[in-house]
Amino acid sequence: MNHRGGWALIKNTWQSWLQHRGFFFLLAFGWMLPLLVYMLVWSAAAGEGSLEGFSQETLAGYYLILILSNQLTYPITNWTVGDNIRIGQISRWLIQPMSPLYHALSAEIAGKVVFMVFSIPVTGLLALLIHPTVDINITNVILFLPALLFAWVLRFFWGYWLALLAFWATRADSLLALQDTFIFLLGGHLAPIHLLPDWLQPIARLLPFRYMSAFPVEILTGQVTGQETLLGFIALTIWLTLAILLYRFVWQRGIRHYEAVGG
Amino acid sequence: MLHYVKLIGQFFKISAQAEMAYRANFFIRLLYSVLNVVTGLFSLVVIFNQVESIKGWDLPSALVLLGIYLLLGALRSLFMGPSLESVAGMDGEIWTGTFDFTLLRPVNKQFMISFRYWRIFALIDLIFALGVLVYAIVLLGTPLSILTLIRFLATLTAGILLLYAALLAFSSLVFWNSGFLFTWVINDLFQLARYPVGIYPNWLRLILTWIIPVGLMTTIPAQALAGTLSPGLLILTIFFSVGAFIGASLLFRRGLQKYSSASS
Repeated sequence: MNHRGGWALIKNTWQSWLQHRGFFFLLAFGWMLPLLVYMLVWSAAAGEGSLEGFSQETLAGYYLILILSNQLTYPITNWTVGDNIRIGQISRWLIQPMSPLYHALSAEIAGKVVFMVFSIPVTGLLALLIHPTVDINITNVILFLPALLFAWVLRFFWGYWLALLAFWATRADSLLALQDTFIFLLGGHLAPIHLLPDWLQPIARLLPFRYMSAFPVEILTGQVTGQETLLGFIALTIWLTLAILLYRFVWQRGIRHYEAVGG
Repeated sequence: MLHYVKLIGQFFKISAQAEMAYRANFFIRLLYSVLNVVTGLFSLVVIFNQVESIKGWDLPSALVLLGIYLLLGALRSLFMGPSLESVAGMDGEIWTGTFDFTLLRPVNKQFMISFRYWRIFALIDLIFALGVLVYAIVLLGTPLSILTLIRFLATLTAGILLLYAALLAFSSLVFWNSGFLFTWVINDLFQLARYPVGIYPNWLRLILTWIIPVGLMTTIPAQALAGTLSPGLLILTIFFSVGAFIGASLLFRRGLQKYSSASS
């Protein structure tokens, strides 16, 4: 496999995306807003007191970090996989001497860079405005980083295998909308997992959506105990393995099914 | 006047025919509509499972507000959104320069760009929104007097007018900077109307009331229905919405004068 070509592609994509930054800043702004809305809703609900241990300040800390980690784990490229299969772009990638995964990877990394250029200053400014509190200790930071990386890989591959169903069904991207909805409801966006109704919390901890988004933030803000962290990492690893297996299965079947017309 | 009504009928018919060509899309749109409503309802269930009320808003009154939000959203995606988007959105006519052809049509320009395209599948959203609204009114439990109903309809109309004015104003900004997707900004900001403006911090509340009146669009009609709206605020809202409409129309006209076509 040609990794040098892959790296050149990654650099190229990210430089070209930075030129269209206005567009990407708008996308980042759009993703930020729902989280800000729920931060303000829960802050108003908590008032001067606290809800299940969450005060206004800790809610603000949770949501501001979630805004950043959500953008770092959001796989925007999943949305274009279907289009590339439909219009036949994928034919060109298949004959290049490197894995087509690099095209997704280059866009992913380019996206993260451009989004952070916008989102880090904006969340920083918001932090000055609303005074969040976060108890950060070094263990949490060390555990946060792999959790964040795995969350991205899980979210990416889970969306990727869904998007690859476009080999058979033209509108497979509607499954991605379904996934986004589940992440919003059960992945700590609508509410931190601890604020969900009691009957829903075990379900949210079992399904993969928490591990795609809220789990690293919970670690960093110290919401989970050591044992819960360990269990979380186990669940994350299981879902991640499953996602990669599903990706490989769907990809191999899809490639055999794929027929390009014209060129 | 009748001429314009007939034109809207024609626009609707043409758009409907175009969309009916992609009939399988119906199921995708249905899925998105269901997701939208379920997310809205579920959010309220989760929030009011934790607290009885937020700054005076309990579950039924928040549900009324959600119904109004969904209703405005449905109207936006039914015609305001697609029509204005076709001019000011991504690959819109001002980007591509095909706006010249629109200007040549012998009708009022603002009318043309506001009512031209209809997305008939948004009628599903409209039905869901009305369903939520009716259910919320039932849950509210107070019998509706004629006066309350009139107040509600008047403020709801004002809310629709405010939404239209905001969309038109943001779309008009594209005449000054054609590379920026102003319509996306207002679509994003509209999400703030999902919850009562009173729950936001003071500085944000002031912005959402007077500068980008997203907060008024849903909060005021919901208050009118619950009977907590003062007559002064009711009259102020109606005047404000008419003023916003006039202001946005003037802005559009100013922008139109600036339009210098794209070379082709």
